[in-house]
Amino acid sequence: MSPTTASAARLAEALSGLGDTVDRLSMLSQRDYQNPYETVQWPDSVDPEGSWFGSPELLSLHGTAQYERLDEPARRRLSFYEAVNFFSLNIHGEKSLMQGLAVRLYRKDLMGVARYLHHFLDEENKHSVYFGGFCTRYARVYRSRQLGFEPARQRDLDDFLFFAKTLVFEEVVDHYNRLQAVDERLHPVARFINHNHHAEESRHLAFGRRLVEALWKCCSPDWDKQTIADVRAYLSQFFVSSWHEYYNPDMYADAGLPDPHAVAEAAWNAPAQREHRRTASIKCTRFLVSADILEKEPIDAF
Amino acid sequence: MPSDLIAGQTDQPAATADARAQLRAWVLEKAGGLDPAGLTDQTPLLERRILRSVHLPELILLLERLGGGEIDVEDISPGQFRDIDTMMANFVRPADGSEPRP
Repeated sequence: MSPTTASAARLAEALSGLGDTVDRLSMLSQRDYQNPYETVQWPDSVDPEGSWFGSPELLSLHGTAQYERLDEPARRRLSFYEAVNFFSLNIHGEKSLMQGLAVRLYRKDLMGVARYLHHFLDEENKHSVYFGGFCTRYARVYRSRQLGFEPARQRDLDDFLFFAKTLVFEEVVDHYNRLQAVDERLHPVARFINHNHHAEESRHLAFGRRLVEALWKCCSPDWDKQTIADVRAYLSQFFVSSWHEYYNPDMYADAGLPDPHAVAEAAWNAPAQREHRRTASIKCTRFLVSADILEKEPIDAF
Repeated sequence: MPSDLIAGQTDQPAATADARAQLRAWVLEKAGGLDPAGLTDQTPLLERRILRSVHLPELILLLERLGGGEIDVEDISPGQFRDIDTMMANFVRPADGSEPRP
């Protein structure tokens, strides 16, 4: 089903209002264009217990009884496998993102943002080169539990959910990138990857917020109450699914922790981790609630 | 776990019955307001939109924990999550140690 004429007109108007944003962000992307094969000097190997690869306070076990039982080398080792997991979940998330961007590139009704979609797509691919470079050199790419099958939806609904999910995914990732980019305890390669990702994601987030709000305003008036309730439930559950990826049993197993599924479940339920997830999500949830996209924060995720 | 959640499963080994009960409890938690009496082990969960695609990553984690094996998302299809019976048959290893997939 195609969007109604009224919503198509509203979309055209909303996208025309994004013109300045598209121009500004495209200019910045052109100015900062980089070659991912020349930017990083990859060491031949890294010592998982010799450096921090993620900020200790951001580790998924921080604030839990399990974490208290680990000595410092074990905590560093955990930070290495958590970094591998963080980079892996970015690879899988960006793979879906690139698919969605490619499908929408030069679509007639999205022509107004095509110029920036080129940069968006290009930069996501480069990020995955960095993430993949780390994982394949020093460990492996962890498997995803995200499935590729989505039901067929009307196009305006599909567009909205695609860009809203992108926003949620990138906002949470950016919480980690922003803090780890300036954490001098981290191994230089891990700090660089976080820093570089944060710099480029800042542009994507600015674009994403403008576009998600525009799509909501032009599309949701045509949706009935049940559809809007379904959208809200879907996005709330997307927070839950996204956050579960940060508690991957595979990384606990590689870090040498026994009964990795039990570790993941205990960490997910730990009060300190609930608060961490809420804090890390708060910029995103405040935006979604203030735009009336969500009625309340997704409490099942926290 | 209320005993009615495992009604009809008393002839199964306890571990498998417990896995089924945990799976059923998870579905009810996610279903939000669904009358437990309206959920059987053959209720088509995706078809009736009791569960949606966005629930599947969390469901896979649960099934891996209950079933004891890795689930490769590149080798599965939506039909394998059709209902509780189908998920038990596909992903939860029986107590005799045989392979879960029929």
